[in-house]
Amino acid sequence: MTYPDVSRHTLRRAIRNVSAITGLSLLSIAPVPDFFVPVLNLRVAITDSAIAQPIELSALDNLTRGNELLLRGSYLSAIEAFNAVRDDAWREQAALGISKAQALTGQYEQAISSVRALVRDPADSPGAATQLAELYRMTGRSADAEQLLAQIVAGQVNPPVRSLVQYGLVLDLRGNSQEAAQQYNAALARYDSGMVFDSADVGMVALAAWKLDEFHDANALFAEAVRLDGNNLEALTLWGDLFQEKFNDADAETNYNQALTINRRYTPALTGMARISSPERYLAMSLEVNARDVAALETYGLLMVRNYQKDVGRGYLEQALAVNPESISALSSLAALAAIEDDMAAFDQLLARVNAFSPESSEFFAGVADYLGNNYRFTEAVGYARRAIARDPANWHAHTVLGGNLVRLGEEEEGKQHLEQAFDNDPFNVMTSNMLQVFDVLEGYATLETEHFKVNMSQRDAQVLWPYMAPLLEESWQQLVDKYQFEPDVPVLIQVFERTEDFAVRSVGLPDIGPLVGICFGKVVTLISPDTLNANWQEILWHELVHVFTLQMTQNRMPRWLSEGISTWEERQARPEWGRRLGLELVRAVQQGRLLPVSNLNEGFTGASSDADLSFAYFQSYLVVEYIAEQYGFEKLRELILEYAHIREESVMFANVFEMDMLTFDAGFRDWIQQRVDQINVYVHVEDSADEGAGHGHGVRENNSAVLAELYNNESLKQHMRGRVEQQPRDFQAHLQLGIVLFREQAYDEAIFHLQTAQSILPDYAGYPSPSLVLSQIYEAQGNNDAMMEQLSVMLQNQQHDYASALKLAEAALTAGDTEQADYYLSRALAVNPYRPEIHRSGAQLAQRVGDTQRAVQEFEVLVMLDQSDPVDARTNLAGAYLDNQQLDEARRTVLRALETAPGYERAQDILLRAVERSNQSTSSGAATQP
Amino acid sequence: MMRLVVLLTMLCCMSLHAQTAGQPGGLQGSGAEDTPWFQQTPDNNKFALIIVGAAASDEIRQRMRGWATDLHASLLADYGYVGNAIELLIDDGSNVGNAAAIVSGGSQIEDITAAVDRIAEDSAPGDQLTVFLFGHGSSTFGDAKFNNVGPDMTGNDLAGLLAPLAGVDIVIFNTTSASFEFSRALSVLGRVVVSATRSAAERYDPVFGGFLVAALQEKRADIDRNGRVSVLEAFNHASGRVAQWYSDQGRLSTENAVLDDSGDGLFSREPGTGQPDGLLAEIAYLNVISAGVQKTSPEAIRLQSEMQTIEREIFILRNQKVNYLEVDYWNRLEALLIDLATRTRRYNDLP
Repeated sequence: MTYPDVSRHTLRRAIRNVSAITGLSLLSIAPVPDFFVPVLNLRVAITDSAIAQPIELSALDNLTRGNELLLRGSYLSAIEAFNAVRDDAWREQAALGISKAQALTGQYEQAISSVRALVRDPADSPGAATQLAELYRMTGRSADAEQLLAQIVAGQVNPPVRSLVQYGLVLDLRGNSQEAAQQYNAALARYDSGMVFDSADVGMVALAAWKLDEFHDANALFAEAVRLDGNNLEALTLWGDLFQEKFNDADAETNYNQALTINRRYTPALTGMARISSPERYLAMSLEVNARDVAALETYGLLMVRNYQKDVGRGYLEQALAVNPESISALSSLAALAAIEDDMAAFDQLLARVNAFSPESSEFFAGVADYLGNNYRFTEAVGYARRAIARDPANWHAHTVLGGNLVRLGEEEEGKQHLEQAFDNDPFNVMTSNMLQVFDVLEGYATLETEHFKVNMSQRDAQVLWPYMAPLLEESWQQLVDKYQFEPDVPVLIQVFERTEDFAVRSVGLPDIGPLVGICFGKVVTLISPDTLNANWQEILWHELVHVFTLQMTQNRMPRWLSEGISTWEERQARPEWGRRLGLELVRAVQQGRLLPVSNLNEGFTGASSDADLSFAYFQSYLVVEYIAEQYGFEKLRELILEYAHIREESVMFANVFEMDMLTFDAGFRDWIQQRVDQINVYVHVEDSADEGAGHGHGVRENNSAVLAELYNNESLKQHMRGRVEQQPRDFQAHLQLGIVLFREQAYDEAIFHLQTAQSILPDYAGYPSPSLVLSQIYEAQGNNDAMMEQLSVMLQNQQHDYASALKLAEAALTAGDTEQADYYLSRALAVNPYRPEIHRSGAQLAQRVGDTQRAVQEFEVLVMLDQSDPVDARTNLAGAYLDNQQLDEARRTVLRALETAPGYERAQDILLRAVERSNQSTSSGAATQP
Repeated sequence: MMRLVVLLTMLCCMSLHAQTAGQPGGLQGSGAEDTPWFQQTPDNNKFALIIVGAAASDEIRQRMRGWATDLHASLLADYGYVGNAIELLIDDGSNVGNAAAIVSGGSQIEDITAAVDRIAEDSAPGDQLTVFLFGHGSSTFGDAKFNNVGPDMTGNDLAGLLAPLAGVDIVIFNTTSASFEFSRALSVLGRVVVSATRSAAERYDPVFGGFLVAALQEKRADIDRNGRVSVLEAFNHASGRVAQWYSDQGRLSTENAVLDDSGDGLFSREPGTGQPDGLLAEIAYLNVISAGVQKTSPEAIRLQSEMQTIEREIFILRNQKVNYLEVDYWNRLEALLIDLATRTRRYNDLP
């Protein structure tokens, strides 16, 4: 391609410094000075000069204006401006501009027409031909694109960098990665020889480096491209895509935003943003500009699929394929959907479509594997990831997918190997790096085992938590195996992380996981250590263990709502104080019409935009399970679970089990709910806020209205609440708040009346503060210890997260000599916080009182870890407990540790001598032991 | 038994002295070349000077006074001090409520001077004075002050006030905010100085003082169970509690207690074995040593001597721990401990 009377370099400078062309009426083809006037002045200049003196713009002016409008996203105006270029010298540039604007607005056929006329011999017009090839690739004509680009590359001594890179992309797409690499390398060689100056070309070289896995270079080159031209939207967005591929959303977002600041209608950046945040908003913006944007359609499709609107999602994916039948991403997503539904015929058809242009595409299989893994189908995910790697061993993303899914199946060693391989070749991938770092954390953890479980936890947890976790694990196993008549694969791997970030990375690969505290993958359960929680860890553990059963019973095919519903329902079955209560929350939900139809319950999870939403999703799922168990019996619930092991429509499954359609089932559910609401018979005032608790349904649920009443102590509040009580005698919240305010005013009798009324309305209220808690405080203030204890006891019947009250009751029971009650309340306190020394001191005291030497040892062992204030005493106590429990060697070892610090400590000396004497009696060997 | 412990400790000091000969000062007194520092014998008297400075608010005043009076009570009850061996100086010395009977003056420099003079008069070389400072401190570089009533006192001022106490072993606990620079001015060979803060930047009121008093009460800090609390034990106990307190509160610690007993003005956060500081603090006990009831039978005297020897061997072995294989170390230690325990049992059984 040649230019009429201006050098290529001069033109480039002229275009880059558009606003340097002052006056706009003056066409100058001479080199312009390298100074910069803000671009926005351009329009002002046009307007002003138009008003002052209408003049006809020159061809170059129109070309410049068209480029500027194109850059700013005024695509139609840009096309108009380009169309106004009449001078033959600039016609090709204008046509390219028109074609770009048309492509950005989805007019692909017109875009192709606009540029095709320019391409007689591709080697003679490489710019236009390359653009045409790009359009072919975008519209599923990779074979034509390949042919065109091959001609450019073959026909030029130094083909344009863009042509080389685009050729590489097409070759890659068509599965010819070796030849693709040659093109990328040629582009890089051009850069290395100092022949690449232009920002757009540097951006292309960056892309080549990216494709060659030279991520560091790619990053630097994109930075250079943007430095050369801050308006290089393509480079900015590709750079963002690179960051996003490596799960570095923060930097990706910066880049996309920078691009959108320049052009808020730039669809690649809008779609990039949609993958990070506010997807619907950005995708709507993107599709408004270009309703046929393949990337946006694919992203929208996947979003819909993730929201369980599979058909809608499929529709978008099909739309994407209608534009570009060779979109591996769309084909792979559809194939993943087919695979998840075990529709292997559909899968094979999609694979055949891919094979037609890209045989055994590694990217295709990696995409399927990733999707299946994210949907708990780990075994199949592993299979597809292996297939991706078999086709392309250098597909590091596939290695990461394979490694991550192997880990979720408990195949730690092999998983780690693949993650390491991925990291060695792609160290920028944040997810890979995170997951490997967690392996480092796990290396310092203890590995403990029971008959059916293998557990990784910190050394501290191994000392403090394990003694109480181990029996709970086996108890749950026995109960659930009997109940569900199913025995999961063993060992079930449980990993308890001290740091929330490690838990999150192990679970999802990234450090932000929101309010979740435990996740079950079927054979693997990850948990946050109770040390960092303020909730009943035993309930959480039990909840996750139920998932092990329901997921394995269905080969991980169970929908989230049912799995969570059953786990939440089972909490209450395991311990009466665990689980949710059907009280205010239910009545409020019905009043507000928040209950979803049973067929849409998953939306409650996928559409949750807050912790409260998520918590409510758990609650509603639990309600359905409670309904099934109560109305139809547990066996029907088990049958329903087993239905999900098969690939069927949910309505068919419900029909099979309940012999009715889902609408009828739903109607029955709603009737049942209404009966419950009638039974509860509580008035919920519209101004009261819902109790808020930690996500996942666990943790204390705070009654914010009541908490506020604790803070405010005024007449108007009392007056208002009295008015409410007069109008609605069963207004629980009003009675509670009155009770709190009156308690603060020390008007105890009246406070007691309202609190007792509230208590009678909702006897099992589990929020904080509760009537029983405030009543206990009143009785404490009155010095009525028995009544206070009674109320604490009432509160603990429904409040499972209160550590302090449980300990108080345990200590009182110990003092009273009621060892059974002491034992019960100590177990309640342990279920919330096993890390407080006082609980173990009481436990040891109880054990010694009842002569349970084994338990005394356990409690003192924990105290050695927890009670750092007096290590000599703690070790001496433990040594004494060992001695009582006939663990003579342990007694000697432990007391030696105490005496090392305090050799003159006579109590410890006595234990040592007694241990030695007993050892001598029981063995003939007097060899010293090694601590 | 108390006597035994005194002797054992002396033996221990001798062994430590041998190991630290290369350190500046070792453990030998500077006033008289042959007098060891911090002798723990019934012949050495112990004094305490408790100074409570001006308070920024009534709440703080009550808190500081509470610490000081609790400390006073504990020194009497748990450490064997007699009333006139404790000088308690609070604010301006007036309006001290129930503490009037035990307060001997205010925290003005004149009152401090008078109190030190009284102690100087009653003390002799080898005696021990422990100074406790409660209140606020302020610090700019080179000008750290204790906010007492009247003109504030610098570290150099206090050093000057203590000058008449030649030959008296001195321990200083400065629990005020921004106490570091003030404390550094008091660092001198043979003296143990504890500061609640480690830099001038730590200028919020520390909680160290409260935990120090708690550590001393009922001898809670007696980790080695020898019936006495050393300065090192008190320091470790209190600073451990401070760290725990900040952790429990979920707050970043704004104070870090430090100790210097090598006279170099370089304080340690974790004094003790293997650290530049801590050796002197380990043998500087707060307890007044009283002459115990002696067993006079020849066997008791022999056993006592043997027990002292064994305990010395245990200390030596413990200090040489890194030089032994682990199995060997514990075997040796157990043999010694069994021997010690057996003899102790026999000694106790003797009339």
